[in-house]
Amino acid sequence: MTALLDINDLRVTFNTRYGEVTALDSVSLNVNAGETLGVVGESGCGKSITALATMGLIPSPPGRIAGGSIKLAGEELTGASDARLRALRGADIAMIFQEPMTSLNPVFTVGDQIAEAIMLHQKVSAAQAFKDAIALLDRVGIPSPAERARDYPHQLSGGMRQRVMIAMAVSCRPKVLIADEPTTALDVTVQAQIFDLLNEIQREFGAAIILITHDMGAISEMADRVAVMYAGRVIEQARADDVLDAPQHPYARGLIDCIPALGKGETELREIPGVVPPLHLLGAGCAFADRCAHKFARCESEKPLLADHGHHPAACHAVEEGRI
Amino acid sequence: MSTSFILRRLGYGLLLMLGVVVLNFLLIRLAPGDPAVVIAGEMGGATEEMLESIREEYGLNKPVLVQLWIYVSGVAQGNLGESFFFNQPVSKLIAQRIGPTILLVISAQLLSILIGVFLGVIAARKPNGLMSGFVTVFATIGYAVPVFWTGIMLIILFASALPIFPVEGMQSVKLRDAPFFTQAVDVAHHLVLPAFTLAIIYLAQYARLSRASMLEVLGSDYIRTARAKGASERSVLFRHALRNAALPILTVAGLQFGNLISGALLVETVFNWPGMGRLAFESILRRDYPTIMGVLFFASAMVVVANLLTDISYRWADPRLRGRS
Amino acid sequence: MSDMTDYKAESPAREAWRMFRRNVPALAGVLILGIIVLLTLYGQFFYAGDAFDVVWAPHEPPGATAEYPLGTDYLGRDIIAGLLTGGGPTLAVGAVAAAITMVIGITLGALAGFYGGWVDNLLMRITEFFQVLPALLFAMVLVTLFSPSLWTIAIAIGVVSWPQTARLTRAEFFKIKELEYVTAARAIGARNKRIIWTVILPNAMPPLIVSATLTIGVAILFEAGLSFLGLGDPNVMSWGLMIGANREYILDAWWPVTFPGLAIFFTVFAVSLIGDGLNDAFNPKLRER
Repeated sequence: MTALLDINDLRVTFNTRYGEVTALDSVSLNVNAGETLGVVGESGCGKSITALATMGLIPSPPGRIAGGSIKLAGEELTGASDARLRALRGADIAMIFQEPMTSLNPVFTVGDQIAEAIMLHQKVSAAQAFKDAIALLDRVGIPSPAERARDYPHQLSGGMRQRVMIAMAVSCRPKVLIADEPTTALDVTVQAQIFDLLNEIQREFGAAIILITHDMGAISEMADRVAVMYAGRVIEQARADDVLDAPQHPYARGLIDCIPALGKGETELREIPGVVPPLHLLGAGCAFADRCAHKFARCESEKPLLADHGHHPAACHAVEEGRI
Repeated sequence: MSTSFILRRLGYGLLLMLGVVVLNFLLIRLAPGDPAVVIAGEMGGATEEMLESIREEYGLNKPVLVQLWIYVSGVAQGNLGESFFFNQPVSKLIAQRIGPTILLVISAQLLSILIGVFLGVIAARKPNGLMSGFVTVFATIGYAVPVFWTGIMLIILFASALPIFPVEGMQSVKLRDAPFFTQAVDVAHHLVLPAFTLAIIYLAQYARLSRASMLEVLGSDYIRTARAKGASERSVLFRHALRNAALPILTVAGLQFGNLISGALLVETVFNWPGMGRLAFESILRRDYPTIMGVLFFASAMVVVANLLTDISYRWADPRLRGRS
Repeated sequence: MSDMTDYKAESPAREAWRMFRRNVPALAGVLILGIIVLLTLYGQFFYAGDAFDVVWAPHEPPGATAEYPLGTDYLGRDIIAGLLTGGGPTLAVGAVAAAITMVIGITLGALAGFYGGWVDNLLMRITEFFQVLPALLFAMVLVTLFSPSLWTIAIAIGVVSWPQTARLTRAEFFKIKELEYVTAARAIGARNKRIIWTVILPNAMPPLIVSATLTIGVAILFEAGLSFLGLGDPNVMSWGLMIGANREYILDAWWPVTFPGLAIFFTVFAVSLIGDGLNDAFNPKLRER
């Protein structure tokens, strides 16, 4: 059986002043109804590009999908017409963005913005759409939804705005919901509330969720499966528990080590030394080599491929040769 | 919209107008020579009797502060003095001329904003496209052409080669007694060239400004949200983006109003448009100071009103400013 | 996309110059303006003739006589002589007026932006007051009251044009005075006067240079407008005056108004190309969009 959303060998390139750079390279991901896939990695690793590609929102030019396929319930999206993609966006695939402060249009009321999403995909009157918007605000836990619907975004708190974004995203009961760092801009207590809300919504609507984050804590709380991305590639993919308990790739190990271990007596946050290399400077070898403690000759010359080396799939020569 | 905000802006506007009146007063006194002679106009024809009556009316023999008081309270009562050249009260002269100027200025303003913003939005869709290049070049050219020269070139073109628009005046003499609708069409017909001439400079600037403003807005997160909802490209451009990009355009539109009136002065002179600009030109040639000062007063008043309307519409357009002081 | 790898330290002025040198429209602007300035400065040495002299029959069309290639005006005065002598006053008034505009605008804007508080409040109210007066009309009044000469015209244009410069300077000062190096200058005990003129102002220069360039263009248009209305110095030939004087006869002869208008247009066009080029050079990030 094929998955609800099946991304296969996806390649996205951007034209920059350094020439054409590859932002996503042979990325394969899939997610089923009712399931949550976590996509983790540092900023610049290609998480958000993957999400935008799935939405058909890669800014073009300079970007383009250079290869591979994205299938939603069997339908190919990469070559689909603009009109078809517009019909799917917001209806079958919806997205929640990282910045609730700037992702809502400041000159329209939040009720109008949700109602617009409804009217774009359902044949209802404006008055009915606004009523539905109020019901959705109520559903995502906003008190006095009828009054709040007439508020402008700047009148709401960050957490409230993210709830509005969620209400907008689920307004047409999408099959796939992409949440791109939905809680990064919010404080910790609000983060937990938003995750609870996403879980509830998933149970109620049965949507597949792709949760994009750099926060392993969020993964452990939300995800069924995890894909770890680095420099435009998926370098490890497995059930969430497997990755959390036994990370394979040195980068994934580093990410897990960065989780502050409460109560273990650790006094400082650990971090992976170095930064993600600029995409135009990627060479022939493993993109992580420069930061890797287990680097050996092969890592400089040959790109490791994602493959099962005993435990679960990881793209690492050192793991393959049993060095770690 | 809070009433107190409007009242406060209104009060400030009145204060600015008081400033203009005081400035007028100072200018006459600062000018070299006897103020009475200045007021009478340097026609050489002012009799001693006339000068004496001017001194009496303006209180020129009294202390300066008393003179100022007489002048300011006169203006407050609608008395802008007497034009010795036109032999009429200045307020009456201006009452006849202000309508055509307002008509011209507002038509030019609407024309330039509508066309300019439309061009700018189209250009912003493809920041490196043909339309973008055209808007940039056109804006630079539009900025560099002297407005009075554009008018003259259009007159040369439309007077003989392509006589489809009248090149002079505001009304056809033979239609003076025609029914209202016919007259209105006639005035609109006469308005085409002057309004277009005046609009060209600002049209180019609005196109350029709205292109830049749209480019900035189109890169923002809420535009991505709108696309993610499945909104059409037209709705993204004209509904989601333009409402936000319009804010800086509105600010500039308010600030441009003074320049527009300056431009109208030249355009009216070129096209013999019977407005305040022509009146200013005629009275300056005759050194008819009461009239000049009256025009300066009313032209400034138009700017003050335009600024007030801009402030109010800005608050209406940007919900973040509503209900704040 | 980060580009730390090929980053080379380069002074902002040098970098701006490098950007400007590659900007074809801006270089075209420099070329056009250079030719116009050279012609107005030295043209009379190669092409003798007084612009006020009646040399031929009136309204001789361009190309009709070899001696006066661009024809003659309504009095029979040589158009080329007018163009060559008429450019000087226009350019001079434009430059002087722009200088006056910048001096007033920068001084008031700097004081308002640096001191803030009541100084800012007062100066901004004055600025707003001047913005309410329609500039050309106000300049006309000033010129008429104080009798027209090149100096009164330049001063009048300066007096009515400074508010925008003042606002720009103020905004820049507000931004810059919060930066670390200003705090550092304060910390070592620099006086306010010194901070304003030697610490903040140099850093506020890029947008002000652009604005100064564009102000020259506006001032030239202004001078042309005043001369066109007959408010220029009647004893000095200028492009605006040529258009104004021949205005009555445009339906009989297009050339006496067309050529001076083109001269004004190309001058202002060149100036604004240079201004745009400087703007791009100082803000390379904006260009990449």
